[in-house]
Amino acid sequence: MLSRVAERLYWMSRYLERTEDTARIVSAYNHLIMDLPKGAEPGWDIMVQILDAEPYFHQRFRSVNEQNVLKLLVADDGASCSIPYAMEAARENVRTTRDVLPEETWELVNELSLFVREVAPNSVGRRNRHAFLAEVISRCQTINGLMTSTLTRDHAYSFIKVGRLLECADMATRMVDVGAGDILDRDGSTSAFDPLLWGAMLQALSASSAYRRQVGPLVDRNAVVDFVFLDTSFPRSVKFCMQGIGQELGKLTNHEEPLRAVGRAWRRLNRLTKEDMTQAELHAFIDDFQHQLNELHMAIEEAWFRIANV
Amino acid sequence: MEKSWKTYRSEGFFDESMTPRGNPRAAASQAIKFLHSLSSDELNSRRVAAELAIKEMGISFTVYTEGGNIDRAWPFDFIPRIITSREWRQLSLGLLQRMRALNCFIDDVYNKQKILSSGIVPAEIVLESNNYLEPCVGVNPAFAVWAHICGSDIVRDHKGQFFVLEDNLRVPSGVSYMIENREITKRVLPELFENYSILPLDDYPLKLYETLAALSPRARRRPNIVVLTPGIYNSAYFEHAYLAHGMGAELVEGSDLFVGEDDCVYMRSVDGPTRVDVIYRRINEDFMDPDAFREDSVVGVRGLIRSWKAGRVAIANAPGAGVADDKVIYAFVPDMIRFYLKEKPLVKNVPTYLCMREKDRNYVLSNLDKLVVKPANESGGYGIMVGPHSTKETHKKFAQLIEKNPRNYIAQPTLSLSTAPTYVDGSIQPRHLDLRPFILQSNDSWVTPGGLTRVALQKGSLVVNSSQGGGSKDTWIVEGDS
Repeated sequence: MLSRVAERLYWMSRYLERTEDTARIVSAYNHLIMDLPKGAEPGWDIMVQILDAEPYFHQRFRSVNEQNVLKLLVADDGASCSIPYAMEAARENVRTTRDVLPEETWELVNELSLFVREVAPNSVGRRNRHAFLAEVISRCQTINGLMTSTLTRDHAYSFIKVGRLLECADMATRMVDVGAGDILDRDGSTSAFDPLLWGAMLQALSASSAYRRQVGPLVDRNAVVDFVFLDTSFPRSVKFCMQGIGQELGKLTNHEEPLRAVGRAWRRLNRLTKEDMTQAELHAFIDDFQHQLNELHMAIEEAWFRIANV
Repeated sequence: MEKSWKTYRSEGFFDESMTPRGNPRAAASQAIKFLHSLSSDELNSRRVAAELAIKEMGISFTVYTEGGNIDRAWPFDFIPRIITSREWRQLSLGLLQRMRALNCFIDDVYNKQKILSSGIVPAEIVLESNNYLEPCVGVNPAFAVWAHICGSDIVRDHKGQFFVLEDNLRVPSGVSYMIENREITKRVLPELFENYSILPLDDYPLKLYETLAALSPRARRRPNIVVLTPGIYNSAYFEHAYLAHGMGAELVEGSDLFVGEDDCVYMRSVDGPTRVDVIYRRINEDFMDPDAFREDSVVGVRGLIRSWKAGRVAIANAPGAGVADDKVIYAFVPDMIRFYLKEKPLVKNVPTYLCMREKDRNYVLSNLDKLVVKPANESGGYGIMVGPHSTKETHKKFAQLIEKNPRNYIAQPTLSLSTAPTYVDGSIQPRHLDLRPFILQSNDSWVTPGGLTRVALQKGSLVVNSSQGGGSKDTWIVEGDS
């Protein structure tokens, strides 16, 4: 397989996952704010921070509030963290790799991109927000399902899987970061709203029922962090994603460096001690782990996408 | 029955399916009979079905000027064009003959130049042409074949006789649409296939593969073949992807390839550099290699010509093949056939006036209102003046252009292009057509059974190019006489 094609498939998959996960975060946050008592305004700036959108946001908007943050994430096609931006990037990458993907992929991706372009501008307000996000999530799942059930298990599949898992792991850590940030603007570590907050995070990861079956109905921070990072059977957990990436990369030639990067991230993950972590420590851990993921990405790029002349 | 059938007449032109009195011709009669049996509503529903099939199959072509929305659905008329196999056999032999002669000519021009020293083709029109590429001199490609894929444009006059209008030897396109047109017709008018034996044409990708594989410099069971595209913004990108897919070959862009120290061409793949044996290039030769041709090319591969000259990679069509794809050289093709093959041309040229010749030029300048004037070196219908349909001012403008650069212009009589029944705005009307068959040559040679029929959808129009609002039809070569 051509390096260029592999790279486009990898990014197509990452952007598709990013589209879905951004919709999930916004959706969960959306539920959360409705449960908060009057006056307990959540910190909207945290959303902007965890999606690395601060400079752009402050260029575009003056104040950090619900309306502006939603406008940024749901409808601003110039913002690299927005749903329309990620969707358009996914579409562009499919357009030039159509011939290695199942035939319906282009059609579905194209339709979803048209849908987002058309409907997103009217979905910023609370009234239409939920229906829009739910539709985006469900269509992304359809596309993923199509590829999982019909793609030949060759190079194309490997790069698509690795892209999706890497993005999924990255976004999962960002979601936990929402909780680690002082979202409710308070000092103590216990709060009446904690279960609500962490429950919303589980929702965002499609992890609620899996968590209940595995851990139980009681939702607290330590248990959620443990589950999201370290559970080995839940497909959106960080550990599960890292395991899948390792398996897939091992099949490719020239995998030494990337696999070393997976190993480093894996060991980092195993050193996560959550019991007596402060919010700040948790945040620092997540920062560091995201750094590891970025190094893994660069190793993949170096090994397979940048083939130099000989 | 749709009532426009009753009044259908193609006055003054040869209609391929209907006689001047409005009766179906023998070969078309079964098809016309069936179409007759359909009501207006049914006809319209077939049109809708065709549009839907095109959308579903994702058949598109790209228009340069439309910016954001660059993919356009393929314009298609569902009434097939029907040609008998007897008529076809004669034409296809003529096309193969032409292709052989053209390849003899190209090989001669870059090597011994016999045809120039014998004075049959004036040396200056070849050697001073932009299409004559100095870096190709002395190269000996496999089988002495330079043009491996040719798309010739064929028209029929008012008597139904075939003429070759031009030979496209650089990067002829349209073959994927030819195949897809058949696929659409099978979906939309399946009933028609019951009473006909139609020559199938979906094995083109396989024939192309065999033609290209024979060129491989390495003896391998499956040589590494790639299709080189300028990228997604090219109007024929759909076709590039289609053919790569059909041959199981990689679709590559210039940046995917590089030439190594050993003069071999490699592609950058996830398994590391992989050697390439044959390049089916769909980029213009000027852009192929910034070392040899245009330095500003960003879609080419540096060192590609060096590798080709060293015999480490085969390129189809070979660089330099364009020297025979020139409307002035075209006028000499019948002479080439006699000179190289010692045969009589089996298919005719359209009479052509070369403005570089004083006698011809004077005739052209005083008959601009009757002639079609074409620049020697443009394709896609650009820069053409159709005399009878142009204003006095345009005539004047072209007179100036011709006087300024006579070598660059030719003129031909306005042909009464043949017509065929076409579904337009809810009724059946005659529309003008041409035909582009594709000819392949390497160790063996082959012609597509039929070709891409293009149809001018505007009433009376002769412009069939899809980039200028033309449509297309499925083309049937059927057993039997007419």
